Amino acid sequence: MSDRVYEILFIADPNLGEPEVDTLTTLIQGYAEKEGGRIQKVEKWGKKHLAYNIRKHNEGYYVLVVVEGKPSLVKEVERRIRVTDGVVKFITVRVDEELRKAEGRRAARARVEAKRKRPATPRPSAAENEEVPL
Amino acid sequence: MSFGGGGGGGRGGRGGGRDAKGAGGRGDKKDAGKRYFFRRRKVCKFCADKIDYVDYKDVKLLSAFVPERGKVLPRRMFGTCAEHQRKLTLAIKRARNIALLPFAAD
Repeated sequence: MSDRVYEILFIADPNLGEPEVDTLTTLIQGYAEKEGGRIQKVEKWGKKHLAYNIRKHNEGYYVLVVVEGKPSLVKEVERRIRVTDGVVKFITVRVDEELRKAEGRRAARARVEAKRKRPATPRPSAAENEEVPL
Repeated sequence: MSFGGGGGGGRGGRGGGRDAKGAGGRGDKKDAGKRYFFRRRKVCKFCADKIDYVDYKDVKLLSAFVPERGKVLPRRMFGTCAEHQRKLTLAIKRARNIALLPFAAD
């Protein structure tokens, strides 16, 4: 089975300092790598306000980890995140399929645009050729 | 009796005057007249901006389609096409899960 791409977005405890959030991030990256995942991207969004209170917190550090790996990776990584202290909430979303479809639509649109541009040039020349014998 | 007739005539005259003036007035003030039967056609923002993937992480984009209360609004409000409305709904639900958008504002 080919590997899939997952986005793991988690909220770290706002009471943690910047270096502690970094260690937490590397810890979670380690979980994924242990399951044969390859880290594609790590994004730290910093402290953000939560739309609603979670575990009595009204803000949190958002960290996004994009990982490529097998479906079984998600199960294990999620289980480990659940027992990790300092993670307020997390979400795992599979994105490869959607992004591939989006890419396909973009390519299809590019093809249509190219097709629309191409006939525009030969047609006037054909009209001119008809006019010449007259 | 004459009073009543005069009143009726006056009313009729006023009514006629209003109709005649109203037609001219509508021609002069386009907005005032058009408001009754013309509604600006809404175009799906996602189609127009060529957004193929509605990202749940893009709060700025999503919050434009979510009122303060945090509800998902029907398609007719924003004119999104069916395909993009489905994707938008899913993105809003994901964003709610991770506290980027509210479930219900208090």
